[in-house]
Amino acid sequence: MKLEWTLSPMALLAALIFLSPVLYSIWMSFLTVDAYYTGQLDFTLDNYARAIGQYNFARYLLNSVIVSGVVTLVGLTVAILAAFAFARFDFRGGNLMFGAVVATLMIPSHITLIPNYLTLAKAGLLDSYAGLILPAISNGFAAFFLRQYIRGIPKALDEAAYMDGATPLQVLWRVIVPVARPAIFSMGLYIFISEWNNYIWPLVAVGKDDLYTLQVGLARLYRVNPGEDVVDWPLVMAASTITILPVLLGFLIVERHLVRGITMGAVK
Amino acid sequence: MPRKLTPYLFALPLLAFIGVFTYWPIAESLNLSVRSWDFMSPTKPYVGLDNYRLLFDSREFWNALRVTTIFAVVSVPLRLVLAIAIASYLLKETVLSRFMRGALFLPSVTSTVAIAVVFSWVFSTDYGMANGLLNLLGLPKVAWLQNPQVALWVLIMVNTWKQLGYDIIIYIAGLQAIAPELYDAADVDGGRKFHVFRRVTVPLVMPTTYFLLVISVIEAFQVFTIVDVMTEGGPAGATDMIVNMLYRVGFTLFDIGVGSALAVLLFVFLIALAVIKSRVVGRRVHYEA
Repeated sequence: MKLEWTLSPMALLAALIFLSPVLYSIWMSFLTVDAYYTGQLDFTLDNYARAIGQYNFARYLLNSVIVSGVVTLVGLTVAILAAFAFARFDFRGGNLMFGAVVATLMIPSHITLIPNYLTLAKAGLLDSYAGLILPAISNGFAAFFLRQYIRGIPKALDEAAYMDGATPLQVLWRVIVPVARPAIFSMGLYIFISEWNNYIWPLVAVGKDDLYTLQVGLARLYRVNPGEDVVDWPLVMAASTITILPVLLGFLIVERHLVRGITMGAVK
Repeated sequence: MPRKLTPYLFALPLLAFIGVFTYWPIAESLNLSVRSWDFMSPTKPYVGLDNYRLLFDSREFWNALRVTTIFAVVSVPLRLVLAIAIASYLLKETVLSRFMRGALFLPSVTSTVAIAVVFSWVFSTDYGMANGLLNLLGLPKVAWLQNPQVALWVLIMVNTWKQLGYDIIIYIAGLQAIAPELYDAADVDGGRKFHVFRRVTVPLVMPTTYFLLVISVIEAFQVFTIVDVMTEGGPAGATDMIVNMLYRVGFTLFDIGVGSALAVLLFVFLIALAVIKSRVVGRRVHYEA
């Protein structure tokens, strides 16, 4: 499709106005506190140094990377395995099991909040990475989505591999996964971003500062002094920028994959 | 060739996780909703429907239901109207529309906590952007988040800002699925733009509209983060949504029975909506065929 090069100044202005709160908050994160109140242009990296050093945001960042990374890798693995079973095998109870997976798409997550808290408390896993990660692993949507995709892959490919003596696991790993890579990649991005931005579960599952994710850490930092004149806005905006930036950069690099993953989910 | 057991082994990990963290919790919520428990005591006595009765007799529950309903009833149509208008404007594949889509879509993948924090600044009374603009126009300050008459509308605005890009992307996908000849025919007839929009675009994307309508209502009834960060349900309960109440009852008052009853009510309501949604999606497939 031919693209017209008509990026008008008006459109740029409209986009800037729309994004201005976020853009200005990034700008604000580089201002000294005095400059913020007086309107001078006095820039510093001190807000970042304080957020990272004094307020533990380096640790929160690490926690978010670990939790989102593990949820994505393990969640994808579990979903791919199940998707392969449901796409390629006709087995007793298979339809029922697949139905149970698809039904989770309708289930609002808040019903599981209190019981999952109790389960993890009983297992002694509150205040641990496992507690943050485990409930987020099962992803019915990813399994459903990948199953649909795998069904579109010609079965002759599998059969040829089986003829050569491959095991089902080898067929999945050597044949299906390479072909389904675009779908897996989109789904991985989708899972990572959802988990990165997850707030309510880390909020209930963790009470220890060292295990806060960025989302919980940021909300707490903002609330240190909630109230009009006492909020240290440049500091809070530095923390907010640390929270937004990884996804923002990722977004700029892979926007099209992301949009595709999301529309594929909603519009078939 | 694979043995009989193979598919079960492949499906097992996912099924185990879903069983432990999705299906078991539903049963456990139902069970806890008819018991009285505070996290601590060794027994969980059966109390029948007392927890539900307690909810129905409380002003807090009806207030949360009212606030959440207003939130949904205002924000969902607002989003859909803005989204379909912008989507039909950005439909053509130009660099301009790509750029605008990206800019509008960005907030929907950005951290809700960070957005809530940024907008807490925008709507802060003394140094915020909103009052700064009013000041430029010579208008008096507004205590956006401290005023019960205003705070809910601010949250609706912030939520619209965040979700709009998602709706637009879905509408664009829906519009692109419509045969372009329909637009072309309208052009040849000399149909005016708005006329075409109203008579051709809007009816043809009705299935997408239904779909977005239902998922946005489902989403609106689960709003939590924006409220928790920006107002904590205040001032004076003016922005207290169902999930905020659920979190408070369960995790700060430790009333597991009442919290679970509230979760069950929300669950039943949202499942009903989800069933409607799957019907609608079914209808859409029919529509496009």
